[in-house]
Amino acid sequence: MSSLLPWLFSAIMLGFACAVVLNRNPVASALSLVVSFLALAGLYVSLNAFFIGVIQVLVYAGAIMVLFLFIIMLLDLKAEERRTLNTTATLGGLLVAAIFVCELFSVLRHFHKGSLPFPPLAAGPLDDVRGVGTMLFSNYNLPFQVIGALILVATVGVVVLSKRELK
Amino acid sequence: MMPAIYLEAIVLTLGVLLVLMEAFSNSEEKTPVAWLGIVGLTFVFILTFFTANDLSASPYSAFYHADFRAIFFKRFALLTTIVVLVLSIEYRGVVQKYVFGSRPQAGLGEFYALPVFTCAGLMWMASAVDFIMIFVSLELVTISFYILVAYMRRNAGSLEAGVKYLILSALSTGFFVYGITWIYGVTGQTSLEKIGAILLGLKVSHGPLLFGFMLVLTGLGFKIACAPFQIWVPDVYQGAPTPVTAFLSVGSKAAGFIVLMRVAEVFLPVPWINHKAVTILVALAALSLLYGNLAAMPQHNLKRLMAYSSIAHAGYILIAVACIGSRYANIAVSFYLAGYLLMTLLTFLVMAAVANQAGGDDIVHFNGLGKRSPYLAFAMLAAMASLAGIPLTVGFFGKFLIFYVAYEKGQFLLMGIGVLTVAAGFYYYFKVVRAMYWKEPADDTPVRTSPLTGATIAALAFCIFFLGVYPAPVIRALEGPPSDNPRLLAR
Repeated sequence: MSSLLPWLFSAIMLGFACAVVLNRNPVASALSLVVSFLALAGLYVSLNAFFIGVIQVLVYAGAIMVLFLFIIMLLDLKAEERRTLNTTATLGGLLVAAIFVCELFSVLRHFHKGSLPFPPLAAGPLDDVRGVGTMLFSNYNLPFQVIGALILVATVGVVVLSKRELK
Repeated sequence: MMPAIYLEAIVLTLGVLLVLMEAFSNSEEKTPVAWLGIVGLTFVFILTFFTANDLSASPYSAFYHADFRAIFFKRFALLTTIVVLVLSIEYRGVVQKYVFGSRPQAGLGEFYALPVFTCAGLMWMASAVDFIMIFVSLELVTISFYILVAYMRRNAGSLEAGVKYLILSALSTGFFVYGITWIYGVTGQTSLEKIGAILLGLKVSHGPLLFGFMLVLTGLGFKIACAPFQIWVPDVYQGAPTPVTAFLSVGSKAAGFIVLMRVAEVFLPVPWINHKAVTILVALAALSLLYGNLAAMPQHNLKRLMAYSSIAHAGYILIAVACIGSRYANIAVSFYLAGYLLMTLLTFLVMAAVANQAGGDDIVHFNGLGKRSPYLAFAMLAAMASLAGIPLTVGFFGKFLIFYVAYEKGQFLLMGIGVLTVAAGFYYYFKVVRAMYWKEPADDTPVRTSPLTGATIAALAFCIFFLGVYPAPVIRALEGPPSDNPRLLAR
């Protein structure tokens, strides 16, 4: 049973990811994306990465998608539905995607399975929140600080680009 | 001696200080923000000469190396940002016109403060030796560019450039990260040094690693603006505010190249990667040279012309990247970039001054500049001669080093294309010179520049000639101590 779950989650994730692209209605697209994110969270949980699974739900399926929906509400939905497909662009996109998939398959065919296995997990309860936190604040402290600067710049940018009248 | 890692911390603090100054001061005048930025960055530039090069004992050494090349590129980023700030002061009238504001100088404070953050990101990139650090600092640089490119909100061109840059840059970042995951999946490491050690071992799957490397190359190809990833360049360069265009074409490109060099130095020495990767790099270089130089010929707008010229210069530098393994490939890339900084920034400074008066940056607006203000025209002549690669300018010496490296590695095809496209370059760079000296001006009023801009123009023009005659100081800074490297100057 448990070996079937990852396949199920993957199938849901990929199916709804396709629905995001194929749907003409932006709201339907956004909701399909939520389902796709939830399935990805399920995939993380089935890999024992509980913390990342929870964060995936909270941040992506929760916060970011709500933001997406708000933005979509501000758009003119009718105009989006009336838009016709540009045949050349669609064919070009499909061609590039097909080439990429072929390349991916040829690479995967030559992949030596398990040539560098991950070390087995320690027995007992998995303390992954503490593990992630310790790594982030000790080993990965410098990149973490840089992300702080990045978020500050993004905040300043949002204010500058969206405020009605700057002072 | 101060640890090099403090440099970025100081630059970041300066940036925060500028933002706070902008937010809490009631003054209507925003130029002091730029002045403080220029003074602060100059101070950090002086500090780079008093930093320790060795960081082996630091807890950050897994992510951050402060070797000679890194220090050189930190100085590079600082100088670029200083000139960009000077350029921003010169250009402030145009930004003012296209920003929604309740006061005349509204929004200018952030326009002066954001480049300082970009500078910190560029400096981190110069030192990054781990894919995570590379990615994080690259994103800091890219996100600040998203904002700066779209800064003039009431100008349709700037907004269009902003959207195009945002979408294509996000796509290229996607490729870059996807490549990193493949490399991590095969080697289990993000540190370049450890990946290099694993690559030289025997038990690695070739296909996935090559795939990852190519994806990383795609992402970086976008940053350095080489063909066939150049599609965004002309529109974004033309639409963005001129100081931001200058910053993009110099800072973003240099940071892309130093990361490319660090990654390529890990992958190219591996025998089974080498010939494939070199083939790809040669193809990229040849395409960029041909596309950039040929497409630049019919351009009438100087900013657009500089965009195509930027693609062409990426091609010249890629020649040297394809020759990694040659003793001087490294020096050739860095020296060329140093020269590129001088001549590109000089061009944009003169362009901003002329465009302020003439109201546009087409080549026609430069008509008769030799009569109107001979001093500016001469500076532009120096920049154009150096971009074309005339002897006695820094551009000539840069191209000479590149072709020397190509000759040493036997890349005769690239040498041939390079020499031919240099000839094409003469044509379009001298179109500008012809307009300045052989055409009649529309009006005779001289172009006014502020003393600061005038001094910066003089300094850059002087460096172009000085380094063209006597390039030793830059090369010595790149070679490091005598025991480190084979020496170019000692020969």
